[in-house]
Amino acid sequence: MKEFEPKIVAFVCNWCTYAGADLTGTSRIHYAPNVRVVRFPCTGRIDYNLIIKAFERGADGVIVSGCHPNDCHYTSGNFHARRRWIVFRTLLEYIGIDPRRIIFSWVSAAEGAKWADLVNKAVREIRELGPAKEFINMKQWYEFEKALGGFRG
Amino acid sequence: MKQLHERAHELLEQKAVSVIIGYGEGTEGRVRPVFIRTLEAVRLLVWDDRCRVNLAVYLNKPEIRKFGFPIAVVSTPATVRTIVQLIAEHQLSIGDVVVLVRENDTVRALIQKEDLEQYARNNPVIFPPFVIEEIELLKKMSIEERFTYWQEELAKCFKCYACRAACPLCYCEKCITDVNQPQWVCVAPHPVGVFEWHINRAMHLAGRCIECGSCTIACPVGIPIALLTIEATRVVKEEFAFTPGIDCNAPSALSTFRVDDKETFIR
Amino acid sequence: MARIGVFVCHCGENIAATVDCEKVAKACAQLPGVAYSIDYKYMCSDPGQNLIREAIKEKNLTGVVVAACSPRMHEPTFRRACAEAGLNPYLCEMANIREHCSWVHPKSEETTLKAIDIVKTIIAKVRKNQPLYPIKVPVTKTALVIGGGIAGIQAALDIANAGHRVILVEKEPSIGGHMAQLSETFPTLDCSQCILTPRMVEVAQHPSITLYTYAEVESLTGFIGNFVARIRKKAKSIDEKLCTGCGECVNACPIKKIPSEFNMGLGTRPAIYIPFPQAVPNKPVIDRSRCTYFRTGKCRFCESKCPTKAIRFDQNDEVINVQVGAVVVATGFTVLESTFFPEYGYGQYKDVVTGLQFERILSASGPTLGEVRRPSDGAIPKKVVFITCAGSRDPAKGIEYCSKICCMYTAKHAMLYKHKVHDGQAYVFYMDIRATGKGYDEFVRRAIEEDHVKYIRGRVSRVYERNGKIVVCGADTLLGAEPVEIEADMVVLATAGVANPGAEELAQALHISYDRHRFFTEAHPKLRPVETNTAGIFLAGACQSPKDIPESVGQASATASKVVALFSRDELTREPIVAVVNRCAPPLYSTCVGCFMCQTACPYSAIEREELRTRDGTLVKTVARVNPGLCQGCGTCVAFCRSKSIDLQGYSNEQMYAEVVELFAE
Ligand SMILES: Cc1cc2nc3c(=O)[nH]c(=O)nc-3n(C[C@H](O)[C@H](O)[C@H](O)COP(=O)(O)OP(=O)(O)OC[C@H]3O[C@@H](n4cnc5c(N)ncnc54)[C@H](O)[C@@H]3O)c2cc1C
Ligand code: SF4
Ligand code: SF4
Ligand code: FES
Repeated sequence: MKEFEPKIVAFVCNWCTYAGADLTGTSRIHYAPNVRVVRFPCTGRIDYNLIIKAFERGADGVIVSGCHPNDCHYTSGNFHARRRWIVFRTLLEYIGIDPRRIIFSWVSAAEGAKWADLVNKAVREIRELGPAKEFINMKQWYEFEKALGGFRG
Repeated sequence: MKQLHERAHELLEQKAVSVIIGYGEGTEGRVRPVFIRTLEAVRLLVWDDRCRVNLAVYLNKPEIRKFGFPIAVVSTPATVRTIVQLIAEHQLSIGDVVVLVRENDTVRALIQKEDLEQYARNNPVIFPPFVIEEIELLKKMSIEERFTYWQEELAKCFKCYACRAACPLCYCEKCITDVNQPQWVCVAPHPVGVFEWHINRAMHLAGRCIECGSCTIACPVGIPIALLTIEATRVVKEEFAFTPGIDCNAPSALSTFRVDDKETFIR
Repeated sequence: MARIGVFVCHCGENIAATVDCEKVAKACAQLPGVAYSIDYKYMCSDPGQNLIREAIKEKNLTGVVVAACSPRMHEPTFRRACAEAGLNPYLCEMANIREHCSWVHPKSEETTLKAIDIVKTIIAKVRKNQPLYPIKVPVTKTALVIGGGIAGIQAALDIANAGHRVILVEKEPSIGGHMAQLSETFPTLDCSQCILTPRMVEVAQHPSITLYTYAEVESLTGFIGNFVARIRKKAKSIDEKLCTGCGECVNACPIKKIPSEFNMGLGTRPAIYIPFPQAVPNKPVIDRSRCTYFRTGKCRFCESKCPTKAIRFDQNDEVINVQVGAVVVATGFTVLESTFFPEYGYGQYKDVVTGLQFERILSASGPTLGEVRRPSDGAIPKKVVFITCAGSRDPAKGIEYCSKICCMYTAKHAMLYKHKVHDGQAYVFYMDIRATGKGYDEFVRRAIEEDHVKYIRGRVSRVYERNGKIVVCGADTLLGAEPVEIEADMVVLATAGVANPGAEELAQALHISYDRHRFFTEAHPKLRPVETNTAGIFLAGACQSPKDIPESVGQASATASKVVALFSRDELTREPIVAVVNRCAPPLYSTCVGCFMCQTACPYSAIEREELRTRDGTLVKTVARVNPGLCQGCGTCVAFCRSKSIDLQGYSNEQMYAEVVELFAE
């Protein structure tokens, strides 16, 4: 059987991690193709609801990454984001969702190699965790509703 | 009770408040909220051990606000914490509320910032035994067990939003659940929709929940949902040294930060 | 229905080598809302851009997706092309299939599928894009410069010479700052007053500069291009128009023994005084806290002596509001003093002085008229010990940073001392010698080699008095920490440069940020060193961190060029990537409930309170409002808003949601 290929969504800020991933490209460093990048102006803009949506719609893992502390283009978006993540992660864990499915990182515009590394490691780790069973579980209902032609809210 | 009646009488007579929110006799030996506007009605007020529900929630309701401030509220310690937190969140101003509390068998009216804060600090949260038990239970569980626990509990939720209506800190005029562009929270009460609702509720109350338990009391199917917001507030307290409901000027814990906030999971 | 055009670029072989571009274009053509989809060798080339321009016109496109390189590279190019064809530029987005796909994966089916995914998400975003229009704000072409030290003077002159009006506010009775107190300046040893005074006079006489001395900025409201500053002009108790600066009053004042601030307490001044002979303006002020008349109601000697009847005991503080378009903060710094160094005997022994006091002792206009005489008995000291890093680089004292100027001015002090007292001996205790400017190391070497100043590497542990001498105990770490003891006549401490008292209050009044040492912080330590986080407010000189004169002047000219650039246009045009708080029909008016979480979250203080009123004026509620002049578009507020009342244009909730959901759409 073919190995399980996790689907990973990466939420990144424009100024550091997106630029870092650009550098990975210009440096022609190859990495696993499982990741899809969504560009935000800053990690401060990343709504936890989008992370939830990604899982719900079928992501097996999520990467959230931005500028290192003190390097945020807007000076403090990442500090705000960090607080938000501390709480969000704890809550997910409390409600029984494996927090290892969300990988948080700081990747600067100069860390092209780190980005490749981060993605490769994420793919490896999430592959080991397997499909996001918690959400698949929850979604059984939802699929059922869809089958009935219900709303897709 | 006599003292309360006297105080209430006085407040209304002097037109110091437009309405007194308090407890009155309900059915089957229970108490219910009453809204006293006239001197004759003052006698309806009761105050005994049954009076535990947090009445501060009515301070956010437009039906009550339209009477105009100041408004008096018969308060438990949780009510005081709520009012302090609502002031911190710019929903009330000092002087809007006359807070009636019991202290050493006398009735005291708290209005000023210092009095409110001091009372709130001197009367910290006391959890009922079942909450403590449940917290301990959850702490011992593996993550899979917790998932099962919550899936079973949340399966009962049919999204009546009684918790939202009962929470004195859920005062948005348009709740995120009502936003449909985009649809952040699925409307249906299927597991996904319920999960989205409760995780949002917990995130929204992180560092704001004053742990009164109103939501859990209101839940018609008995889900211990307060545990989620209590957990959210616990993290905020432990990680950021922030306790809600004790400082009228505190900026919200989640929209502020410290450069040296500690975390262990960011690579 | 949207009519989106998708343009897939081969980038020569850069994309096409690993991604099947034709297949990507074909796949996208099937997606809802896509009216046109094509691949082409070089989209960014002229013919490529033409393809887009023509398609917009011919196919009536309502949105454009260019699947090519990183948007960080060519987004402006393609947006411009769209605008040229009459399509709102903000309806165009780029899908990055080069850096994020073709360059990082081998040629394969999977790579092509990933490219399709990437384009798909951006198409989903563009379906939700709204036309946006650049934000225009008018500019008041007057600059406010706060602080009249060398940095403020330089900035004011540069801006004024570029043809703009400047208001310079100085809190002391005279401009000049610390540079006016210095004797000679490293590394060239030219006389500080001689190079500074002409500039001070130029400021006073410049037709475009309005100078307010003895004044402070109390508050600043508004935003870039449109600030209003409230300035308090403290009562000087004289009519400046009548006063000729003759100085009769100063001589008449019976109170003579007030320690002179300018001379760092080493000399005295009367209650009505001109801080130093070259002061600008050269007119006295009455120090009301010391004046006999203000304290007891009797005296008025000065009034009786004034030939022009210029004294005004009944003058009040005057508060004025001025409109300015930009602000330069140049409030400088100060040095640690007083009892901060009990271990060095400072405050205890008269002959232990700070570097700034030593400047006054060296200065020809100083209390000793330039002769090196010690404060206690006026004797010429034969052995002087200089101690560097007094407070600096000392985490135990709470100052971990290097004050940067002390190594240099200590070398200067030792050298000038040797020039004046030929048979004197100068010792310098140092941790490291930091002399990194042009000609700086040569300067220090000169002190050591030509003027025979003895440099001892080590910390001083204690300073105490013995038989009229000051004993300095330390260790020479270059000689295996051998203890050294020097019996000195005088000790000079190069105390740490620290932020001004009041820096915090000023920062709060101006809404700029400061670090934990209370120095003001720049917007970016590397790339925006003279801007603050608040658009339109700039930093110059030692208020940002201790600096020497060339650096302060350089930075001042840099801020001036920023201000002049800002003033070069009548209107400011800003990217419309800003947050907005929603408005809706009554009775809600806005879903914002006024919790103001967004306000504390915003790094730029861009969020204001707005009272929503009905037509007859009754207050409905207080809600948030984003000032588009200040918002930089980070979106931090958006993610906080519980009721989703605030949204970021260009990265709106709907756009981001659509992108995420599209990834998993079948
Ligand atoms: C002992 C010593 C020796 C030095 N020797 C040399 C040398 O030889 N060569 C050299 O290059 N550098 C030397 N320096 C450094 C030099 O003094 C500084 O680089 C320079 O003074 C910095 O200029 P500034 O305008 O930024 O600040 P300052 O000179 O501190 O001027 C700031 C001005 O702002 C005013 N101000 C403060 N707060 C307010 C307010 N709230 N509102 C209005 N006005 C306000 C102050 O009154 C002052 O006039 C020496 C420094 C010291 C301490
Ligand atoms: S966070 Fe939202 S609800 Fe609160 S003030 Fe800001 S826009 Fe209004
Ligand atoms: S987008 Fe950023 S800069 Fe703009 S108002 Fe929101 S928090 Fe402030
Ligand atoms: S811009 Fe990268 S984290 Fe803020």
